[in-house]
Amino acid sequence: MRPNDRSYLDSHEWAKLEDNLVTIGITDFAVEQLGELVYLDLPEVGQTLTAGEALGEVESVKAVSDINSPVSGEVVEVHSDLADNLEALQRDPLHEGWLVKVKVSCADSLDGLKDAAAYEEIVAAES
Amino acid sequence: MASSTDSTLQTPLADQHHALGAKMVPFAGWTMPLDYGSILGESRAVRTSAGLFDVSHMARFLFTGPHAAAELDAALGGSILDQPVGKARYTMILQEDGGILDDLITYRTGEKEIFMVVNAANRHRDWEILTSRLQQTECADLTEDGGGILALQGPDSHRLLATLSGVDDFCPQFLDLGQIPSPWGELFLARTGYTGEHGYEIFATAEQIVPVWNRLLELGAAPVGLGARDVLRLEAALALYGHEIHEQITPLDAGLRFAIKGWKTRNFAGGEALRALPEPSIELAGFTAEKRVPREGYAIFCDGKEVGTICSGAFSATLNQPIATGYIKKGLEGQFTVDFRGKQLPVTRTTLPFVPHRSRD
Repeated sequence: MRPNDRSYLDSHEWAKLEDNLVTIGITDFAVEQLGELVYLDLPEVGQTLTAGEALGEVESVKAVSDINSPVSGEVVEVHSDLADNLEALQRDPLHEGWLVKVKVSCADSLDGLKDAAAYEEIVAAES
Repeated sequence: MASSTDSTLQTPLADQHHALGAKMVPFAGWTMPLDYGSILGESRAVRTSAGLFDVSHMARFLFTGPHAAAELDAALGGSILDQPVGKARYTMILQEDGGILDDLITYRTGEKEIFMVVNAANRHRDWEILTSRLQQTECADLTEDGGGILALQGPDSHRLLATLSGVDDFCPQFLDLGQIPSPWGELFLARTGYTGEHGYEIFATAEQIVPVWNRLLELGAAPVGLGARDVLRLEAALALYGHEIHEQITPLDAGLRFAIKGWKTRNFAGGEALRALPEPSIELAGFTAEKRVPREGYAIFCDGKEVGTICSGAFSATLNQPIATGYIKKGLEGQFTVDFRGKQLPVTRTTLPFVPHRSRD
């Protein structure tokens, strides 16, 4: 099973809350479905994200896909060298391939997202 | 041939694809391998050594009888009457208005026998149209006879087949048909393909297809899926039905006059309409992009004005950059951009093909 320390979106993003910072990424299942990555577009520091809306795009040899933000908040850190090091995202999307860190206003911002067990069922249904 | 429970067709190599860990996808009514792990790696294998494709989904028709060549000459866009026995030819089925219904290859297997391979997606429509246009010719759809088509493509493909067969002197020229010995009986093959590389397509019987597939992999060919096939054909600027060619495009628009040889004088379905048309006002253009792939349907702009739509886009492993085709007004010059999902980004117009053909080498 995927790590229990975070929450997941149906559209295959993950969000990990530490204090009032949420780290956002895409799951290994998303990467596997996309295949070989060629391009990544991330927001700038200071940009405001809205839960459920696109924060950026990831493109593979096969397809281009929006990356949806699991939370609302302000971008405080961007993994900006990842776009030139897509191997890291390809290899380890759950850790090394994190995308952005977002400051959220309330601690319950991850409510409504899936836990690892519920996300597992989504993956099983789409596999 | 076995049909799976969800009514899609399986090729005779379904178990082999599964064992190789292929990602299987529905395609034109068939379950086909998209990739075996790496679209880029598989397309590189074809350019540098040899790749093996299962293209058994493509439809195989056989036309026989003393009038077969003459009737097909009138039913197809290309000339068949002067097609030599032992040669393959690329041509098309046209609508009466000159629009392209499908592209295909005819194989002159005898004076009174023509074998044909058409796109899987158009199999049933092609069959309807051809059988209605042919009055005195015997027609057979062999697609589900349990056999299939293997495409072996790449600079090492001749060597692999020579090792498999023990003979060296087959299909010396591009588009030659041939027969080579094998432990599973004579193999019928042609010097054809869809990658721009030196390569062969092997028309294997039900008994031959699995052992020939296995042997070619043993000899070093890499299994290659439909994902890489699309990248390779686009690099070689070979048209794909539904993209560069379709009912609203004529062979003249598509720059494919060679596929309708003799069109100015011959009598064939669509010929009259083509002769009445003015010179095409559009042309197929090639573009390269920096990072993002210009994908099908994206709008093309020239100096800020919309001038066309992308037909096909892919990330080229050979050039290590995105490539795309699209129809634009003839003779346009200026700064080309493409609308990438709301962002205008520059693209560079380039000559086609993106990767030079080596099929005649």
